[in-house]
Amino acid sequence: MDFSITADQKELQTAARRFAKETMAPRAAEADKKGIFPEEVYREAWKMGLMNLNVPAEFGGSGLGMIEQVLITEELAHACGGMTTSILANCLALQPINLAGTPEQKAKFLAPFCADYNLASFALTEPGGGSDVASMKTTARKEGDHYILDGEKAFITNAPHASLFTVFATVDRSLRHKGITAFIVPRDTPGLTTGKEEDKMGQRASATSTVNFEGVKIPVANRLGQEGEGFRVAMTTLDSTRTPIGALAVGIAQAALDHAAAYSLQRTAFGKPIAEHQAIALKLANMAQLVDAARLLTMRSAWLFDEGKSVTLESSIAKCFASDMAMEVTNEAIQIFGGNGYMREYPVEKLLRDAKLTQIYEGANEIQRLVIARELLKRYS
Amino acid sequence: MDVIVCVKQIPDPETKLRVAASGKSYDPDGVKFTIVNTYDEATVEEALRMKEEFGFGAVRTVTVGPARSEEALRHTLAMGADEAVLVETPPNAVLDPLLVARILSAVIKDMPHDLVMVGKHAQDDEAGQVGSALGEYLGLPSYAFVTGLTPDSGAHVLKMARYVEGGEEAFGGPFPAVVSLLKGVKDPRTPTLPNILKARKKPLKKIPLPEALAKVGALPGAGNPTSETLAFTLPPPRAGAKMIEGQTPEEQVEKLLKSLKEEAKVL
Repeated sequence: MDFSITADQKELQTAARRFAKETMAPRAAEADKKGIFPEEVYREAWKMGLMNLNVPAEFGGSGLGMIEQVLITEELAHACGGMTTSILANCLALQPINLAGTPEQKAKFLAPFCADYNLASFALTEPGGGSDVASMKTTARKEGDHYILDGEKAFITNAPHASLFTVFATVDRSLRHKGITAFIVPRDTPGLTTGKEEDKMGQRASATSTVNFEGVKIPVANRLGQEGEGFRVAMTTLDSTRTPIGALAVGIAQAALDHAAAYSLQRTAFGKPIAEHQAIALKLANMAQLVDAARLLTMRSAWLFDEGKSVTLESSIAKCFASDMAMEVTNEAIQIFGGNGYMREYPVEKLLRDAKLTQIYEGANEIQRLVIARELLKRYS
Repeated sequence: MDVIVCVKQIPDPETKLRVAASGKSYDPDGVKFTIVNTYDEATVEEALRMKEEFGFGAVRTVTVGPARSEEALRHTLAMGADEAVLVETPPNAVLDPLLVARILSAVIKDMPHDLVMVGKHAQDDEAGQVGSALGEYLGLPSYAFVTGLTPDSGAHVLKMARYVEGGEEAFGGPFPAVVSLLKGVKDPRTPTLPNILKARKKPLKKIPLPEALAKVGALPGAGNPTSETLAFTLPPPRAGAKMIEGQTPEEQVEKLLKSLKEEAKVL
């Protein structure tokens, strides 16, 4: 067993850390406060090759493994969770094409994202159901060599700015998950509109909106895989993006720990730095344990993924544990900052608001627990 | 036209330095090192810019330093340099700036060099001697504090700029030459992830220090240190500020004047 990372991986980590520190961090507070989508940051991220990490090199992507993706994600999230979500959204949106696309579809749709700055959105969740994917209401009706899409998607990351959507719709609602089919839909297709930007609690540098489909006509050539394969495409996509979400939570929590530790050495009470009071020192020790454990779980999941193993169980454990951990650690960081921690002038309350989303998106933690329990009980039955 | 850029890895400006047990340098244990000295990074960018704009041959980077300096060279390769040379010193060796310049000149003599470029100084010791010394040891003209340059290969001259009191001076001179740069025309580029990975496969030659010193032997005065570090101390801790109390501004000013006269004795 070897816990070290390679020289290449270290170099990528250093580059991501530098980008996070120099380009993301200085804009994080303002973007959060005003709910700005800092497009110049995303353009810079694209230029550096931080955006399409999972797109194979033959289409111009970075073509990196999961360990590299996890290392990079943690560094970016240390600077801003919201920006990191928007930077990672292309990986999520393009993964269905990586997994189920034909060579023609890959060449046509992946290449533009690597040749130029473009954003893509993964449109699965609906207003009436996030976790209950099988009850999907967005329909795809086949007419000759086209499909007509009707329905609404909700909470779609980067939707207001995306040039391409990977959309999940059902060809027959009565078939439940067996009717779900995946499609590639360019933004300029008539009938596709996005709603107003949501005013979110956290991750406010990321843009989120609904996507509406009213008689959106797309060629059969834009269908990913066969009819009814969409559910499997969505689930295998999420199997590969869940681990980086764990890393994103680890990055936010590490930032909280860093801020809290530095503050506790400066702030004095009862004649000495508060770090020298056991009440605070023990808190910091607990936070450090949680961050470390979550990082190791995330790295294990990434390593298994790169070994070509199934990571359904391990990525669920990593994502669920890391996001719950991030809530606890950011909450404790605020407590260590005391009254200052509750003020927007200080950086830690943002971290808690940003961390909250990691418990909800890319499979709510309740669903992760159901998956974990199901996988666990298989071993005992 | 081949360019050589000399670079140096330095301690991160945010790292906390401690004095080494010898009392003659800082303790490198626990010190974080930056990727590369800022002025050197700007110089690499300027060399790459000229390569792209004027179709130069190759850009090669050279450093004299311990094994960790390879990171600095890899960074320059990820930026776009073609090859790199590391003269590898023992981990805690402290080399005199003129000895560094001698070593560099000995190594550079064996490489094609129409232009040798350096940052105006390294931000750690701020000696700023290597550029001029290189000119001397290589027998080339050297230009200092340059803020951007344009080669004219036909006329075999460099057109350069540098800041002077109240403005910028345009001047020129022949090359091959040594140029020490204050800043380049463009901000240093950030290496992309694919280029970082490609840089791992670019040639990086390592020369052990004794081998480089053997070449230095042919130079005048070689091996004789030109300076010796007697002591390395941290700046004295700053004394606390004194608050001038008082009910009215007039009263405060009066107390301030008294304090300046009697305590600080500056008036």
